[in-house]
Amino acid sequence: MASNVPPAMILIAGAAILLLVPRRFRTLAYLLFPIAAFVHLLNMDVGTSLVVTVHSYDLVLLQVDRLSLAFGYIFVIITFLGGIYSLHVKDTGQLFSSLLYAGSSLGVIFAGDLITMFMFWEIMMVGSSWLILSSRTVNSGRAGVRYFLVHSAGGLLLLAGIWLHFSSTGSLSVGLFEAGTASYLILIGFAVNAAVPPLSAWLPDAYPEATPTGSVFLSAFTTKVAVYALIRCFAGFEALVWAGTAMAIYGVVFAILQNDIRRLLSYHIISQVGYMVTAVGIGTEMALNGATAHAFTHILYKALLFMGAGSVIYATGRGKLTQLGGLSRAMPLTLVLYMIGAFSISGFPLFSGFVSKSMVVYAAGTNNLEVVVLLLYLVSIATFLSVGLKLPYFTWFGPSRSLKPANTPTGMYVGMGLTAGLSIAIGVYPSILYDILPFTVEYKPYTVAKVVETMQLLAFTGFGFWLLVPRLAGKDTITLDTDWFYRRLPRLAYGLAVDLQIVAGFQRAHEWVMTLPRAVCDHLGYRWSQSRAIYYQVLGTVFREVESRWGKEYQRMLPYLKEYSGDIALGALIVAASLALFLVLAIT
Amino acid sequence: MKRTLLVIALVLIASALADVLWRDSYGYYAWSRMPAFYALFGLIGCVAIVLISKWLGHIWLQKKEDYYDRSCDGE
Repeated sequence: MASNVPPAMILIAGAAILLLVPRRFRTLAYLLFPIAAFVHLLNMDVGTSLVVTVHSYDLVLLQVDRLSLAFGYIFVIITFLGGIYSLHVKDTGQLFSSLLYAGSSLGVIFAGDLITMFMFWEIMMVGSSWLILSSRTVNSGRAGVRYFLVHSAGGLLLLAGIWLHFSSTGSLSVGLFEAGTASYLILIGFAVNAAVPPLSAWLPDAYPEATPTGSVFLSAFTTKVAVYALIRCFAGFEALVWAGTAMAIYGVVFAILQNDIRRLLSYHIISQVGYMVTAVGIGTEMALNGATAHAFTHILYKALLFMGAGSVIYATGRGKLTQLGGLSRAMPLTLVLYMIGAFSISGFPLFSGFVSKSMVVYAAGTNNLEVVVLLLYLVSIATFLSVGLKLPYFTWFGPSRSLKPANTPTGMYVGMGLTAGLSIAIGVYPSILYDILPFTVEYKPYTVAKVVETMQLLAFTGFGFWLLVPRLAGKDTITLDTDWFYRRLPRLAYGLAVDLQIVAGFQRAHEWVMTLPRAVCDHLGYRWSQSRAIYYQVLGTVFREVESRWGKEYQRMLPYLKEYSGDIALGALIVAASLALFLVLAIT
Repeated sequence: MKRTLLVIALVLIASALADVLWRDSYGYYAWSRMPAFYALFGLIGCVAIVLISKWLGHIWLQKKEDYYDRSCDGE
């Protein structure tokens, strides 16, 4: 019986239990839950399922096969390793949201129906937004809200797709979709989380603003859950081959232009996920094995890279190439551990990336996609250039800024050390990874040809770097991305609307709309101004109550709330009415 | 920097040797037959992608850090 408890529940219940543990022991207690979930996963058999009937729907909370198990293992492993890296974190909110985020990611990959999948998909959004907001800076607040809005929109498209799919087929099971409006909506919903351009700007916008520990978790889950969903529902969907290759190139081109080290690494998440999306598009057994293997190794080495960058930020308080330099004397161990991640992402033989990335490229080759193969080699070059050479050179070497970094907590080193060890272990003994992939692996990474080719490619990238070093130094700039459309365009449009008297028009329209409630008030014998005063008084009492409990932050909001209270009430009414309508329709 | 060149030279020699000794064990793609193809591709690819990215950044993508904080009148 115990064996069909959804592993998601262990972590999500763990998040709740954590709040009951004395504050001092919370970081240690945190580690118990991923360990428990890992043991649970090891004992879980393929084919196990758990179905809960709600109303007339069967919610499949658990459905286990080799694909979901492979993703399950790595998610639990990184939850544990990230926990060790965060042992010094005192903020319970971050620990709680990390577990919630990891748990809901497990929920998605073990979901057997679309409704369960969607529910966990949305919980992931809450957990991850929390990790971004936990930095408590102005920038993280803004980026976190943008992140939340983009993912809300993506989630709504997914829901609309699921709804359409259900109403046309009557099925809610998770499986390969036929082409059509419903499946395209679902695909867009997945593509938002997979950060497929042009829906990708949220990632480099938000991840660098999270806390040093938070971005380790962020780098692992959202995009890889989306890769899982794509493998499950869109394997062999040909457009993904080109979308993935474009992603891989877009990521490295933008990474070259970055100054913020975590933003540079964020663009490389997009680029690496591009390999996985390409493989999903190819859709053969070898390609899907490659996508899964690359997701597995990517989670490890990308977490390791974010851990290294996070340690630098933790110790120096700086995260930009133009402000860093000469740290090799003060932080040599961090450099070594970071470089293990860098060699892995670059696909050096004996490091984890080599055994998974080459499988994706080989799968493209066996499907006669020579152009894709060459473009992916080009991405390998640029990856080694940015992550393996440029970032470490300008952080640990390069012009010294005479920085005096603080001590790095031991837990950070241990977390990085274990992640690095696992990356090397997979590189040296690929069978550890190959044995858990969804299909039987008939692929040998260590042939003379592949090793020789890779070494030539990377050595000469190094030579190119040596030639170009002066041109590669960071610059105090940011880069435009598609977030321009929601960060800049609305302001331009608003300015235009003021100029064209449109705003004034809306204000007149608003006055006109409000004549109806005014007339009602007059009719009932209340004076408009009087009734508004009563309304404010009630609202004011509520907010004073809230304020006395929750601190001074609401003081700032009060004037806005007063100004917009009429609109808020109207909005709430519309939402309530549509909810009621929805419920009535759902029941009948 | 001499060390970098030395490492690169060693890798090239090693890979050239391997190229000669195990010539028949590979050659999956049309270009695999060309000696030192990957070395050339690595160098040219690296230089090209840096120059093209930097050029794109220069003419279009890179903006001042306060770009999103400035009001629109400041354009």
